[in-house]
Amino acid sequence: MAGKASSLQIWQYITAILLIGLLGFHLLQRVPWIWGVSTIDQTLTAAWVYSDYVHYGWALLLLAYVALFHGLNGVRGMLLELHQGRLYEITINVLFWIVFIAFAVIATATVAKLPPLH
Amino acid sequence: MTERKGNAQELPNRPGFWRSSINPWTVRTRNNPERVAFVLHRITGFIILAFLLAHILETDSPVWSQYFPYNGLSGWALWPHIMAIEAGLAFRIGEFIVAGAVLFHAPNGVRLLLTEFFGVGVGKPGDPKPPYVPFTFTAAQRQWLYAVFVVWIVLWIIAGVIIFG
Repeated sequence: MAGKASSLQIWQYITAILLIGLLGFHLLQRVPWIWGVSTIDQTLTAAWVYSDYVHYGWALLLLAYVALFHGLNGVRGMLLELHQGRLYEITINVLFWIVFIAFAVIATATVAKLPPLH
Repeated sequence: MTERKGNAQELPNRPGFWRSSINPWTVRTRNNPERVAFVLHRITGFIILAFLLAHILETDSPVWSQYFPYNGLSGWALWPHIMAIEAGLAFRIGEFIVAGAVLFHAPNGVRLLLTEFFGVGVGKPGDPKPPYVPFTFTAAQRQWLYAVFVVWIVLWIIAGVIIFG
């Protein structure tokens, strides 16, 4: 992706729109009153979380990709505001993609290689 | 530390960056809650990103513990152990701070989407007249900003009830 400030910011807005839905869905999974339980801990048991992965794994994975991109791209934009220069910009962009890919791979492994509950 | 590119002269933007971004209260701007929201948006963004990276590693624990068992536990057997650690007060306070960060960042992000991306709520340009108040300061986005602060506090209280309840 080009390092133009305008394109970086447009991707921030696009991912922000996606995050409203995806993160809203994710947070609602943890609101105990919605699910008929009394504490947040009851929505964090191994069985509950495993069920989330099995039924909504694709949504959680998409959320991880979009949130990672939005967060890291935001930091990239701030760092590119702070200083300019060809080598600096290349370094920031390479670091952005390394961190993004590394954590995206971990998130993918969580869903793709999830062990059985028992 | 100016750079020349052709006939254009680029002035460095570094001086003042930290002062204006990290400590906006030292910048003398009256009647500018947008400035406070700008800095809060950045600070909460950093908090959320730090949590996100830790959260991805934490939720991957059933997978990575199969290769690197922790305290002799691997797979889903490790999960209750991690949840027990996170039930401690220090982690609860951390979750409360992250919840506050998310609950400010998201509504303020919606305001920024509306004003910056869709260009609504910023008022119409016109001839400047005394006392030269920027049109954006009297446009709908200012009311939206106050609404963001109210929604933030209300939702944060509800989140506190859920987290510490």
